[in-house]
Amino acid sequence: MKSTFKLGAAEHAIELSRAAHGYRLHLGDQVIPFEMESCGAHRARLRIAGHTHDLRLITAGDDVFIQLDGEAHALRYVDPLAHFEATARGGAADTIRAPMPGSIVAVAVQEGEAVTRGQALLVMESMKMETTITAPRDGVIATVAYEKGQTFERDALLVALQPAADAEGGAA
Amino acid sequence: MKRIESKLNTASAQFRANAEHNRKLAAEFHEKERAARFDRPQRDIDRLRKQGKLTVRERLDLLLDPGTPFLELSTLAAGESYDGKVPGAGCMTGIGVVSGHEVLVNAGDASVKGGAWYPQSVKKIVRAMDIAIENHIPVVHLCDSAGGFLPMQSEFFPDKYHAGRIFRNQAVLSRMGVQQVAVVLGHCTAGGAYIPALSDYSVIKRGTGAIFLAGPPLVKSATGEENTVDELGGADMHTSVSGVADYPAGSEEEAIAIARDVVAQFKTPDKARVESQEPEAPYYDPAELYGVLPQDIKTQFDMHEVIARLVDGSRFHEYQANYGKTLVCGFAQLWGYKIGILANNGVLFNDSTLKGTHFIELCNQGRTPILFLQNITGFMVGREYERRGITKDGAKMIMAVANCVVPKFTVMCHGSFGAGNYGMSGRAYDSRFLFSWPQSQISVMGAEQAANTLVDVKARQLARLGKTLTPEARAAIHDPVVAEFERKQSAYWSTSEIWDDGILDPVDTRNALGIAISATLNAPIGDPRYGIFRM
Amino acid sequence: MNDSLHHWPFDTVLVANRGEIAARVLRTVQRLGLKGAIVHHAADRDTLGVRMADIAIEITGETPVAAYLDGAQIIAAARQCGAGAIHPGYGFLSENAKFAAAVEAAGLRFIGPTPQQIHAMGDKVRARNAVEKAGFPVAPSAIEDDDPATFVARARAVGAPLLIKPSAGGGGKGMHIVRDLSQLEGEIAHARSEAQRYFGDGRLFAERYVEHPHHIEVQVLGDGQGHVIHVMERECSVQRRFQKIVEETPSPSLTAEKRREICETAAGIAHSIDYRNAGTVEFIFGAGGEFYFLEMNTRLQVEHPISEEITGIDLVEQQLWVAAGEKLALTQADVKPHGHAIECRIYAEDAARNYTPTTGPLLVLQPPAGEHVRWDSGVVEGGAVTAAFDPMIAKLIVWAEDRDATISRMAAALRDTVLLGCKTNIAFLRRLVTSQPFHANEIHTSWLDGHPEVAQEPALPPDTLHALLAAAALSTKPLRDTANAVPDLHAAIGAWRN
Repeated sequence: MKSTFKLGAAEHAIELSRAAHGYRLHLGDQVIPFEMESCGAHRARLRIAGHTHDLRLITAGDDVFIQLDGEAHALRYVDPLAHFEATARGGAADTIRAPMPGSIVAVAVQEGEAVTRGQALLVMESMKMETTITAPRDGVIATVAYEKGQTFERDALLVALQPAADAEGGAA
Repeated sequence: MKRIESKLNTASAQFRANAEHNRKLAAEFHEKERAARFDRPQRDIDRLRKQGKLTVRERLDLLLDPGTPFLELSTLAAGESYDGKVPGAGCMTGIGVVSGHEVLVNAGDASVKGGAWYPQSVKKIVRAMDIAIENHIPVVHLCDSAGGFLPMQSEFFPDKYHAGRIFRNQAVLSRMGVQQVAVVLGHCTAGGAYIPALSDYSVIKRGTGAIFLAGPPLVKSATGEENTVDELGGADMHTSVSGVADYPAGSEEEAIAIARDVVAQFKTPDKARVESQEPEAPYYDPAELYGVLPQDIKTQFDMHEVIARLVDGSRFHEYQANYGKTLVCGFAQLWGYKIGILANNGVLFNDSTLKGTHFIELCNQGRTPILFLQNITGFMVGREYERRGITKDGAKMIMAVANCVVPKFTVMCHGSFGAGNYGMSGRAYDSRFLFSWPQSQISVMGAEQAANTLVDVKARQLARLGKTLTPEARAAIHDPVVAEFERKQSAYWSTSEIWDDGILDPVDTRNALGIAISATLNAPIGDPRYGIFRM
Repeated sequence: MNDSLHHWPFDTVLVANRGEIAARVLRTVQRLGLKGAIVHHAADRDTLGVRMADIAIEITGETPVAAYLDGAQIIAAARQCGAGAIHPGYGFLSENAKFAAAVEAAGLRFIGPTPQQIHAMGDKVRARNAVEKAGFPVAPSAIEDDDPATFVARARAVGAPLLIKPSAGGGGKGMHIVRDLSQLEGEIAHARSEAQRYFGDGRLFAERYVEHPHHIEVQVLGDGQGHVIHVMERECSVQRRFQKIVEETPSPSLTAEKRREICETAAGIAHSIDYRNAGTVEFIFGAGGEFYFLEMNTRLQVEHPISEEITGIDLVEQQLWVAAGEKLALTQADVKPHGHAIECRIYAEDAARNYTPTTGPLLVLQPPAGEHVRWDSGVVEGGAVTAAFDPMIAKLIVWAEDRDATISRMAAALRDTVLLGCKTNIAFLRRLVTSQPFHANEIHTSWLDGHPEVAQEPALPPDTLHALLAAAALSTKPLRDTANAVPDLHAAIGAWRN
């Protein structure tokens, strides 16, 4: 299962494996053995392809910053599952159904509006609790099925997104 | 531990001739494997691609940890059955590493008859599940099977070791706490539906993945109800309404990524502790095995030369080197694991049998897994040996082998004839893994021996009637028996019938055994206990 | 020289700035035995200046920048901490005549020129006229204010190529080059709207544009008591979007004679207004050796350290003495330049993407070390570059005996600079200073804008890419954990299949 690293505008699908000594980088058809040892704070020594590099290296979340041969580079790790989620098309993510019966408190979007993942679409009330329904992915609203004040049953279709036309690249 | 000193002359004409012969056999074997894995009618490949499905091997590559081995089992199962139209029995099983866990993979191969189950398919899957049970190995099922091949239902449906055993084994695994995850990548219909349902976790792919007891056509004919596949058993229905499956996935890649994430949550096995050291490559090149093995099944060779090309540093602690010399016994390290080895250097006599029995007991006492290297024509026969009690000595060895608590491994190196097969832990003796080399043969006796026995029986019948057997009549009895024996004693027949867990190129044996030993250590090793040894 | 505390008319100096210049000024203030105070917005709490200062006073504003522009608040802070003088650094209030006047009205010393001098030089047109009147060379030009009705016609009369600039501008903003006079009116309209937007003042002037111009400026020092010296010139032709990124001294464009001429012209201009404080007279220098007065900056310049490095003069110290009312203790003969110095401005920006500013944390920061390597910075490891301020992180200044050695030392220092967490122009600077055009002094002020390919990152060699991916993969916990979870045996056997 390949993981992705973004480096500048490019994406590189790689795998990492452990060997008897050190590790291997799998990139396309190439398998490149290497060893890396930590030598103090944010320092590491990397042996690869017959060369030894003294690195400065730090991670922050999914970002890896590396100083290699006098130059700084930033790489971003994209977890395979996150990658698939980001590129997922169609299916359940096109529709948002009511998790329980209730009524609509507020509608924040209208049909045809572009929304981003996580954006609040509407607020519903059920069992004396208000729940905000958010967009499961980036997309365009196809239908808003209810207006403020209307009630609905469990599993009722609340909002539908237009099916994504094409794979949306790897945007995370 | 002393290094075995090889007496082999690798420059000799004999060695070179053997090597050429055996390399050719290995190449033939690899070609058969390749064909069984990849040669498919184009329309089947096209259908798969049209459905957006990956092949079973592509799925496997996504599933396994990168840079880790995969020990495929019974690759040539059903190779001699069904006119060779069901390669691999339509499924793939094996042991690999997923998210750091050793798992057994059971994958339907939809490029073979839609992944339909033939009798040998069921036998192969049941065997794989038995391996999971015996060795406490978690299972990843990649489900993509059209269901049972109905015309042959009587041969895979009703009996004890038929299809029901698959689900029974799943339930047993679950009781044992051995975890399973099913990835539904095709339709799981009827019995097949129980595979995901009986798994602890199940992932289902939208679109092509579906689970139902009866598919839309059967439902329509039964009740008149009309359904789409998605309505009846699609991913979203099962993961949001029925709860039959746990995780929906948008693609096969995602489904397998989820399965990897699930396996990562499995508990870390408490592996049985056996003696082990840093591994060391054999001192003698395993490729020299090709020159060790003779070209004729009847030609004797020294098993020390085989051992020297399997074990760490070619080091071997031989036990009773000067007693019962037709059975070589001793300790060695293989991929670091300490093992006991029993290897045939001739027929089993009383002394070699007693030595073997004693050595098996030593291994059980020392929690040392045992490797049997078979090249056996049987126990010695004849008046003198019967008088010495060769039968009760053989019984002792069978008693010890059958009641072993340490994992046993058997490799059919060359011949395996008669009761020697049993004494050296043949298939019936629950070796955790049993592999064959391409030129090895198994039968109750040699082909010529069997044919001559039958000719003799006929000749004696005729003699009582005062007649004699004409050469033509003799040939009519003799030749078909030889032909039948030769076909059915070959390794390809064995492996087709799943009498073994697969044929190995001799040079692959070391790795295969390393993976196999490691796998068996997922199960605890109990205390030795035997029945009555006839003294 | 008088350097003991009791000679100073103030014992505390308030720095009304931030970033590297705040730290730079404090360093000299404290070396001279004075107390250094600083004002800072909350966003700047984790900066070097605030750490160094003896007294730090937080100021507020609608935006962080607004806080540093709030003169009343700053003067109040000076009073609160007993500061007797305010050093404005560069930018912000450094060239604000009203602020300078307010500081003096509050009974404090403004470490800068008089409000009148700021006023005289702060407006480009006024400054140009004054310089022209004093008999120094200025580019042929048309000034809108002289007669707005005839501005276009007069601009046309100057002839192409023509540079249209906002009268109230600075920093290269709102400048337009006209090569085809038929487009003059459109460009004027465009420039006016930009001038209005940037400076709230739409007045323009047009002057002869020098093709492939070099930017050469001269550091001057005056005491307002009749004494002015120059502290040599600086070549600042490496610019992107009219903003300097690499400066050096001496200028490789000048002959000894031209050098003397341009430096004496600068000193003469400063002398003509009896300039007080450190200042910079900027010239545009053409390929034919002609030079015209551009503007005078009445403050300490960003790139002042290279002048300090070749002369050994601490310009901030000189500013302080002058502000304290002392006469210049240096004569022109005391300015003895030696060797060569280059400064690189390290910015948080993506050079390859049209020098777009970037932001980010400064996770690892290790300035280069070594003899004659100077790192002027206001940031500390653990801090961050935010969108609130100018994205300059640091200035790297190196000195060596000659230009080639200085370039080599700069390249090595850039290579040794470790700054992780935020995209910077360090690698670009290294490619630039080691490039043939820089070596041959072919770079003029619009060269980089005309060669965007220079800013593109070269494709990584496969070995470098592999090293990065390997190191990144092993540093990413989920990948490392998965790889490490593989049992020893299987790791050792590797991707074997039977």
